[in-house]
Amino acid sequence: MGRPLGFLLPWLAVLVAVTDIRAIEYERPVSAAPTAESIGGGYVTPDVQRPLPRAAWWAAADAGLLVAAMAASAWIVLRRRSRRWLVVLTIGCLLYFGFYRKGCVCPIGAIQNVSVAIVDSSYTLPLVAVAFFFLPLLASLIVGRVFCGGVCPIGGIQDLVVLKPLRVPRTLDRTLALLKYGYLTLAVWFAVRPAVSRDFLICRFDPFVGLFRRTGTAEMLIVGGVFLVVGMFVGRPYCRYLCPYGGLLALLSRFCWRGVTITPDKELDCGLCIEGCPFGAIEKMRAVRSSCLFCARCYPTCPRERVRRRQTAAARAPSS
Amino acid sequence: MNGEPTRRDVLGHAARGAGLLAVGGTAAWLSLRAGKAGAWTIDWTKCVNSRLGATGVPACEKCASTCVLPLSAVRAVNDHSRCGRCCICPAYFDVTSDLGPDGLPTQKLCPRDAIRRTPIGEVDPSDPLNNFYEYLIDEVKCNGCGRCVMGCKEPAGLGSIRLEVRYNLCLDCNRCSIAQACPDDAYLRKPAT
Repeated sequence: MGRPLGFLLPWLAVLVAVTDIRAIEYERPVSAAPTAESIGGGYVTPDVQRPLPRAAWWAAADAGLLVAAMAASAWIVLRRRSRRWLVVLTIGCLLYFGFYRKGCVCPIGAIQNVSVAIVDSSYTLPLVAVAFFFLPLLASLIVGRVFCGGVCPIGGIQDLVVLKPLRVPRTLDRTLALLKYGYLTLAVWFAVRPAVSRDFLICRFDPFVGLFRRTGTAEMLIVGGVFLVVGMFVGRPYCRYLCPYGGLLALLSRFCWRGVTITPDKELDCGLCIEGCPFGAIEKMRAVRSSCLFCARCYPTCPRERVRRRQTAAARAPSS
Repeated sequence: MNGEPTRRDVLGHAARGAGLLAVGGTAAWLSLRAGKAGAWTIDWTKCVNSRLGATGVPACEKCASTCVLPLSAVRAVNDHSRCGRCCICPAYFDVTSDLGPDGLPTQKLCPRDAIRRTPIGEVDPSDPLNNFYEYLIDEVKCNGCGRCVMGCKEPAGLGSIRLEVRYNLCLDCNRCSIAQACPDDAYLRKPAT
């Protein structure tokens, strides 16, 4: 009887030893991660931290704000006829679309996304880029370049530095204005090339986006600074001579339904307003729809406007 | 002024209508095609910090240094199901630094001290070097430099840390400066998932 037991004993000892080693197992194979069971102590493996995507309603909010800002700009310029309110709107849009959203999602850059999407069906075009590209174009057919005045952050930053605008000679002004169509062609040409050689020129050579982000290549920051210094004496040089989207808006706003009319009622043909326009957008004593940037600077120079303001002030005075 | 419409008025209306139709039509056509927005993503099978083959070399820190944002839109995340929970984590400690009296390296690898190390499971107080540790990366501190990603890689680690784009911060630039600088074309624009 003793013999079979004695035969089993060493094996039993080995079995006990193995279970003992298991209880104090410290070895950690590098080929596999420990699971919640092997860690023990009620440990639960946490989820991978997932950086959440920007909520879709943010894109909708951006598009909504764009529509609201354009409506406000149209109302301030065409109805309220107030430069002061437009400056408030300009600063607001500059802060939001420029400094807060850091100049990204803008119609000027969306030219390239839309061009790529037209030729390359595999390219994913964000819906918000479609909205930002087409809404100002539609608005320009109805009221003119309402996006340029008060909404566009690139225009806004230039508009706020206009100090002592010089009058650019007519021929020079018109020749320089053709540059933007060349830039537009070039930007579209580079965007529609095959994906490997595609380049977004407008974003690459945007002079002001570096200022909005307070970082960027030194060259473009210098170019942006130069544009601002030149912009003190030549009103909004980027908008008038280089902005590719301005080129599209200028073409469409020729056919717009309502535009800026400088006098509130009676046309005087006095020409006093010409001095008030920093962008040379008044020809033959009327605002030119394709180059009027909706800045509302011409109104105070009009004698009829002054009469109207006195009348509205008088009409308001007794009631208040 | 409000009399008979002139030829000019009629032509103007026609041009405006045609323009509205053309612009609106193109917009509608494109918005039907515009699917879910694309987003910049990191293909970490290509990222030099996480793919095998490059070990023991300085990490590529382009994601941290080239993003236009002050704090890069790229961050490191730890896939806990793959994490070895090592005591001396090669992504947490600078394993080349001197050992301290507690038997652990004295220097940390993260330049911004963004990794939190907590003992988990059944803690053996008499032998702390044999515990499991959980490594959690602080989203606010991490700037996506990728040193920990490079550190946590075979043979030293299991490769559980990888770089990911935080979509809440990413500005979605057309011309992403990280993508321009990425040495391995690991920074790609893909449809958002």
